[in-house]
Amino acid sequence: MTTVALRGYSVVRAGRASFLLHRRSALAAVGLLLALTVTVVASLCLGESTVSPGEVVKVVLGQPSPDELVVGEFRLPRVVVGLLVGAALGLAGALVQTVARNPLASPDVVGVTWGATATVVGLMAYGVVGSTGQAPYAAVGGGLVAGLLVYALAWRRGLHAQRFVLIGIGISVALSSLTSVFLTKGDGFQAQAAKVWMTGSLNGSGYDQAGRLAWVLLAALPVALWAARAQRSISFDDATAVGLGLRLDRIRLGMALLGVVLASCAAGAAGPVDFVALMAPQIALRLARSAQVPLFCSALTGALVVVVADLIARRLLAPTELPVGVVTGMVGAPYLMWLLIRSRRGGS
Amino acid sequence: MTAHRLEARGLTLAYEARTVAEGLDVSIPDGRVTVIVGPNACGKSTLLRALGRLLKPVRGAVLLDGQELARIPTKRIAQRLGLLPQSPTAPEGISVADLVSRGRQPHQSWWQQWSPEDEAAVAEALERTSTAELAERSMDELSGGQRQRAWIAMTLAQGTDILLLDEPTTYLDIAHQVEVLDLVRRLNVERGRTVVAVLHDLNQAARYADHLVAMRDGRVVAEGAPGEVVTAELVREVFGLDSVVVPDPVTGTPLVVPGAPWAARADAADAVDAVDAVNAAEA
Repeated sequence: MTTVALRGYSVVRAGRASFLLHRRSALAAVGLLLALTVTVVASLCLGESTVSPGEVVKVVLGQPSPDELVVGEFRLPRVVVGLLVGAALGLAGALVQTVARNPLASPDVVGVTWGATATVVGLMAYGVVGSTGQAPYAAVGGGLVAGLLVYALAWRRGLHAQRFVLIGIGISVALSSLTSVFLTKGDGFQAQAAKVWMTGSLNGSGYDQAGRLAWVLLAALPVALWAARAQRSISFDDATAVGLGLRLDRIRLGMALLGVVLASCAAGAAGPVDFVALMAPQIALRLARSAQVPLFCSALTGALVVVVADLIARRLLAPTELPVGVVTGMVGAPYLMWLLIRSRRGGS
Repeated sequence: MTAHRLEARGLTLAYEARTVAEGLDVSIPDGRVTVIVGPNACGKSTLLRALGRLLKPVRGAVLLDGQELARIPTKRIAQRLGLLPQSPTAPEGISVADLVSRGRQPHQSWWQQWSPEDEAAVAEALERTSTAELAERSMDELSGGQRQRAWIAMTLAQGTDILLLDEPTTYLDIAHQVEVLDLVRRLNVERGRTVVAVLHDLNQAARYADHLVAMRDGRVVAEGAPGEVVTAELVREVFGLDSVVVPDPVTGTPLVVPGAPWAARADAADAVDAVDAVNAAEA
């Protein structure tokens, strides 16, 4: 039998089973994991008081340490939530970009994040809930409704990728206006609290947020594995993908739905942390040099971006702690402009 | 290898509210090359899309082995029927081997991602399309003809008995057109594949088809062997063009020579006379 070498892939065979592994994606994942470990430890060490890495490791492993309070109670929950929010956003972005076949598409661009924001701010400003922390489910609901609305409006005998992005931008603008109305018309004091949440903040994050997000991510894992296989043909044009036996409409809806749920959950936990879902998949794509946006690497990149951004947000103007969304926004906005300029020149 | 029969019965095809074809009946002969021809917007590509389940008929049905396409799981269809759209797009930077390997998708599952059979099918597809030496190259670096061969290799790797090709020669220069059509003919003869192709060029269609389907305004005007179907009469009816049909000096198949190009008056009259004279002599 003639054989053919698939450049860049490793094959693992056992009996009738066989698995294809994109080597560079695996390598990138290992590298990202290492970088993530280092930044997590650094993030736990640095702060108003500096803690040695040795003590940090002790606390994380649950051994007694004099720094238990600072590291275990103050810093660790925040880092864990940041990690999970970043992973959820990275994965959500990768899924939405795959569905839309467009690096400009992401849950924050196509209206999902604004759906969550408008809902939470509205509930806060009119006193339905006392604090943003009480509204994670409302955020998920708002995000889902906005996401499905965009999806339905972009539907015309199948999903039209360009319409999807444009309608999403339109809905985002409408929802951001609505949010402004809530902020100006609602209760002033509550609106102030909502504003802080709106920039995307990990200040005061706790384990209850982390627990919920962890469950969602765990549930998303098998779906993501299934999606990763479908990605091999979904990255072609529609006709070719259908020709290869893909149930395109169902798979796209499934991917978009998972992306929307993940992004809404992230917003529910930390508010809208801008641009992470947009940037992370594209960074991961360049690291993995794969033909399609790598899902697992995107999640890791998202986690890394948020943890690093939060570290900067905490230390840049210390002792004032900035919301993490301010930092990701400062990096993300120029990136978005660069993408727009590049795509106008006829790039990808 | 058993060949499957592909048929369209009473097809009415439409985009939104615009009806493109009504009551089409077409049977695709097994193990033959069928070429669909006709003027722009006659519904030939639309018919091919319906045969490949890319377009759902408003009425009527496409039957694969006597079973309605809409009732067969799309992955099962993909194991029997492969299709190459007019301008397929691949992800940026993908290598030829990677592209061709994705043609195996309908035969794979989450725990069988790259079986020895997959490997053999891909190797054979690369071999047959002479793309084996390009396997490591990125699709972006290839010429139009090479790229089209790689795409055909992908549909070949799919290992289906039936291949649908939508204008596989568009955007190619004449040498590459011939190269692609020769490849299609070889696959048909050596592997007994049933091929259905939409072609723009009537003369190429006459050269490469066993079975010709001529369409106009969403109807089948004529159907049969090119030698019997292609006449000056048909060319006028289908394309609205005055022409002379002579035997192709190389293959003996019908060769359509259009009437004389526009020229100053006296010459033009002569040219029209010439067309009439040849056609009169034929009759």
